[in-house]
Formats: sequence, C-alpha cells, structure tokens
Amino acid sequence: VSASASSAAVAALQAALAAENSAVYGYGIAGAHLTGADKAAAMRAWIAHQAARDTLTAMLTARGTQPAPAAAAYRLPFRVRSASQAISLAVFLEDRVAAVYLGLVAVPEPALRAFGAAGVRSAALRATTWRGSTLAFPGLA
Amino acid sequence: VAQDATRRRVLAAATAALPLVIAGCKGVGALGTPPKPAADVAVVKDAILMETRTIARYDAVLAAMPDLAAELRPLLAQHHEHLARLRARLITPRAGPAASPSARPSASTAGPVPGTPAAALGYLRDTEDAAAAALLAHFGVATASLAQLLASISASEATHALILGPGRHR
Repeated sequence: VSASASSAAVAALQAALAAENSAVYGYGIAGAHLTGADKAAAMRAWIAHQAARDTLTAMLTARGTQPAPAAAAYRLPFRVRSASQAISLAVFLEDRVAAVYLGLVAVPEPALRAFGAAGVRSAALRATTWRGSTLAFPGLA
Repeated sequence: VAQDATRRRVLAAATAALPLVIAGCKGVGALGTPPKPAADVAVVKDAILMETRTIARYDAVLAAMPDLAAELRPLLAQHHEHLARLRARLITPRAGPAASPSARPSASTAGPVPGTPAAALGYLRDTEDAAAAALLAHFGVATASLAQLLASISASEATHALILGPGRHR
C-alpha cells in the first residue's frame, strides 16, 4: 500500500468516525423525543453507532493513527422538539453516515472497500425504516 | 535509430503531459464519461444484466398481479434509475433506435411468477437480496467511482428487500 493510498484510507476512516460520533450524539437527542417502538429503534441504532465508532477507533489505532476525539456537542441541522423532527434527524444522520462509508468504498484496499459497503448498507437499512421508503442511490448525492 | 529517438521524444512528451491531465481532472462529473479499464466494462455489463433481470421479474409480477402496483412501482422506478446510471458508464456506439436488443427486458427472462401475492413478494425479495450480493461480488476490481456506484445500488436493493419483507408493516 502506497503512502498516499494509506493516507486516503486514514482520512476516510476519520471521516467515518466523525460521522459515527455525531450519530451517537444525534440519536441521544432523537431518542429523548421518541416513545414506544420508535424509542426502542432509536436505542438500537444508538448502540449500533457506538459499536461502529469503537470499530473505527480500533482500525485507526491499528494503523498507528490517533483517532479524532468526539466533540462535547454537535450542531444539529434543525431544531428537534417533536417525535416527527426526531425521526427526520435520524434520517438525516443515517443518510450522512451512508455517504461517509461510501468514501471508504473509494479506497483501493479490498477489506476497507467491503467494510465501507457494509456500512452504507446498514445505514441505508436504518434510514429506510425511519423514512418508510427507499432511495435509488443511498450515500450518493 | 532515428525512429527510436522519435519514439522517445513522443514518450517524453506523453509523460510530461500526465501531471497536467491529473491536475486538470475535476472529477468524473466534469469529464462526462471517461474511458474505463476493461475490468470496469465487464463489471458494469454484469450489473446491467442483473438490473435487467430484476426489472423483468417486477414487470412479470405486475402483469400477473396489478393490485401490487402501489407497492412495487416505486421500487421498479428505482431499478430503472439504477439501470440508466449503469448504462451511462458504458461507451456504446448507438447504431440506431432499433439496435438495442439488451435495452428491453422481456418477460421471457423473468421465468414463471409465483401464484399468490405473498409468494410473489417473496420471489422479488429473494431477487433483490441476490442482486445486492452479486453487485458486490466483483466490485473489488472496479475503479473507485464505479465501486461507489455499485455499493450504493447494492444498498438500495437491500432496502428494497426490507420493504418487501415480512413483518415490515407496523
């Protein structure tokens, strides 16, 4: 693996980590406005994003790179004060996570490419349950 | 000897031009459809066959069970988007409007449709799952932007399977 390919991999992993950190934060906000099955789904997603964050942290550490720390708070894309806004936030978070994992797919390392594809898929599936419909090109603008 | 020298000069000129080409590259969008390595062409053709087959199966199910239209039409429309985006990556000389035999998925490529709506939805769900997996089978050899497109389409088809799946309706 060349130095430039390796630094592209690290940059893509850091971008994915940043998105996972903001998803963990965002689901904490969204979950507080949800009840019942939706709250349970938000909790599952929150746990899944924490697990992904831990995986990315380990992958960066294994490459001898310092994982970028999470921020104490993140600016939300819009105000969240109701259940429907909380669901919109969850959709927003998953769409963004799908996009950053697509960045990993661009890295010419087969293992990272497959990992990225799995990340796009997981985020797209969660986005679909929140949205109630599908996209033709998850993660692509 | 003179020919050799000429060839070296040409090579030198080509090498010198390379960084300019790279520096001038503003991404795939700016270039339209760039020339692709042979591996990409094979991968795209496989993906096009897959989409064509999926569309043929949706068409066959819709023909047999028009009541499923509300559920299936949005998914079918996205398959047509997939197919269009994949086709756009192939440089194919168009001989004319009649000369696109691969363009029309026919019912004959779909096979028999299961007899009940539930079985038909299961049939399409299995088709989506299989296509989502197959799209990633060879994407390791694809160029970066094609690999991204395949990963995105594969994820889309996994979400189609979710929508078609049992227990999805709350």
